[in-house]
Amino acid sequence: MHIVYPAVVAALLFSVGVYGVLARRNAILVLMSVELMLNAVNLNLVAFDVWLGDALRGGQVLTLFVIVIAAAEVGLGLAIVLLVFRNRQTVQIDALRDLADRDAEPAERPEQVSTEIS
Amino acid sequence: MNLYVPIAVLALIAFGFAMFSLVASTLAGPKRFNRAKSEAYECGIEPTPQPVGGGRFPVKYYLTAMLFIVFDIEIIFLYPWAVTFDALGIFGLVEMVLFIVAVLVAYLYVWRRGGLEWE
Amino acid sequence: MNSQLLAQSAVQAPHIEYGQLAPMLIVFGLAIAGVLVEAFVPRRARSAVHAPLTLVGLAAAFVATVLQAGTHHVAAEGAVGVDGPTLFIQGTIIALAFVSSLLIAERRPDTSAFVSDAASVPGTQEERESLVAGDVQTEVYPLTMFAVGGMLLFPAANDLLTMFVALEVLSLPLYVLCGLARRRRLLSQEAAVKYFLLGAFSSAFFLYGIAMVYGFAGSIRLSEIALAVSHSGGNETLLLLGLALLGMGLLFKLGAVPFHSWKPDVYQGAPTPITALMGSCTVVAAFGALLRVLYVGFGGMQWDWRPFMWGIAILTMVIGAIVAITQADVKRMLAYSSIAHAGFVLTGVIASSSQGLSSTLFYLVAYGFTTVGAFAIVTLVRDAAGEANHLSRWAGLGRRSPLVAGIFAFFLLAFAGIPLTSGFTGKFAVFAAAVAGGATPLVIVGVLSSAVAAFFYVRVIVVMFFSDPNPDGPTVAAPSLLTGAAVAVGVAVTLVLGVLPQPALDLAANAAAGLFVR
Repeated sequence: MHIVYPAVVAALLFSVGVYGVLARRNAILVLMSVELMLNAVNLNLVAFDVWLGDALRGGQVLTLFVIVIAAAEVGLGLAIVLLVFRNRQTVQIDALRDLADRDAEPAERPEQVSTEIS
Repeated sequence: MNLYVPIAVLALIAFGFAMFSLVASTLAGPKRFNRAKSEAYECGIEPTPQPVGGGRFPVKYYLTAMLFIVFDIEIIFLYPWAVTFDALGIFGLVEMVLFIVAVLVAYLYVWRRGGLEWE
Repeated sequence: MNSQLLAQSAVQAPHIEYGQLAPMLIVFGLAIAGVLVEAFVPRRARSAVHAPLTLVGLAAAFVATVLQAGTHHVAAEGAVGVDGPTLFIQGTIIALAFVSSLLIAERRPDTSAFVSDAASVPGTQEERESLVAGDVQTEVYPLTMFAVGGMLLFPAANDLLTMFVALEVLSLPLYVLCGLARRRRLLSQEAAVKYFLLGAFSSAFFLYGIAMVYGFAGSIRLSEIALAVSHSGGNETLLLLGLALLGMGLLFKLGAVPFHSWKPDVYQGAPTPITALMGSCTVVAAFGALLRVLYVGFGGMQWDWRPFMWGIAILTMVIGAIVAITQADVKRMLAYSSIAHAGFVLTGVIASSSQGLSSTLFYLVAYGFTTVGAFAIVTLVRDAAGEANHLSRWAGLGRRSPLVAGIFAFFLLAFAGIPLTSGFTGKFAVFAAAVAGGATPLVIVGVLSSAVAAFFYVRVIVVMFFSDPNPDGPTVAAPSLLTGAAVAVGVAVTLVLGVLPQPALDLAANAAAGLFVR
């Protein structure tokens, strides 16, 4: 199989992940999109490793480490999102507006109990 | 490509069979509607209304899942050592013991802080 | 069957130079010891055990770093490079982490800056109970040690795998630490979420860059990448794409424009001791890694990455200086000023010579200690609701506590680059190196943005000394031993490096003389 196929698939997956991070308002979905990006890179690394015929198997080793780190990262990310959810009853990142560049004092948080997925 | 032709044919047959069963049962079956037939479960238990969005999950599920992930990841690192442990000799043993001890420290922390309590 | 598998690739036990890895091993050992303390020591005694352990351990790690001086060797089978610039940067990080730990360990005048029980919701019974019991979430100490260990490994990493692992090890604890403030907890948690989402996003880009470079070069080791670059024409798609994405990931950690949007929010929301740690140590570590990647890995492609870095440096200096003028919150203003300073250091990086390297190292030391001292003073200005961070609340501080206001004014003048402070010597060295490296327009932009930046620094001094204090305004807490020591170290280093910079400049020049090991 030519290297182009897995490379293009990985690039497409990565783009879908980037779209997810930028367009999603639910923090959990943003985390899922980051995971998608990391897995796209894994696919790319393994494909390059096979294509290059690397004696040291650098791509596969790096893929293993990325899997581990992605798992740790998402565990931590969920803990942080849980912390925010406890206090605000929402995981919409639109609701996190208190730290922003503005002239006046931070606006009052609107009380929204929102469980919509978007 | 001709390696995949049998699989494609099998997929087509499976899809065709499923579609045929659905269509045939819709067309050929008698249409009798009563309350009992349109319920989700036939066992007779009324489904209780669930809150919007699935309701609150106790956080202990998250803790259990996270602990599983951490120790599963530790096992991932043990597989390469398992394949080459005789070539790596004493060095490999010492290093892997140190790694397992490091994860053990995390386990001790979780144990002492009550993360392993279910209730 | 085993011997058949092994016949193809003879695996041998690697040779690890433990002595050269000693600083990192000591800090990671400290972190593990910290977790054991958390597990087994009863709650009342935890802080009393953690603080001396951390401080003594960091001092030991510093001694271990100094003992390595003169090494120029690639350790751990090519994974870690130990050389002059790396040891200098690691020593700087350990010293800055030591001073930040003094701030973290501070429990007076109010209570600790860290939350009493992170898992409890504000206003509930369990939070009240934990406040009454005087708890503090002391997991801060092992988390900080893990972050510092990652920061030590990040500039020393000789292959991209180690660099990525070190980047994550340094970032993940910092994401959590940002969310653990005692006061204004909602802002703190928001800062943690923002830092986490943006940080994870940018490390995914960094990883994609690694994949591209690996596909081009066939190896993740920086020396072999450099070899592949020298053999190629330099305009391969994979290579250019990989370099751009790697640069993006590293520039995010620095806070360079256009990857700076996390910095003001995170600096403002995080507890101030953690802001001090991030503002000093993370910047130093990120610059070390950027220098190693650009000089060792892509040194042969200077004509490709220099124009890119020119643009980034100009944008960073200008935007950091200009947007800081509109800021009304002290921590936010210091965040934008740190963005501007990152731009100034980038001009030294662009010089890509031994002189550029040594001036960058000196500037990082000067800037790091001034930053820690400034944030230490920010922790001292408090009112009934905790720290008073809004600039309007700082009015008239010069009349109420002339000493503290004077010290803060001194730090601001050092940021601005006034002579007799370390900031002036640092800027002079970096700009001189940039001119010698042929980047004179950058230096002109740098001087202009320094002038703009001086405006908002002086404005804060004017607010402190020349306006009337609020009747119910904040007071300056009497600093205890720990914060007082942190401020004293900041003042001492800023003064000494400004008045007698030559020994430090020589040390940096010696460290940079050998350049990076390959």
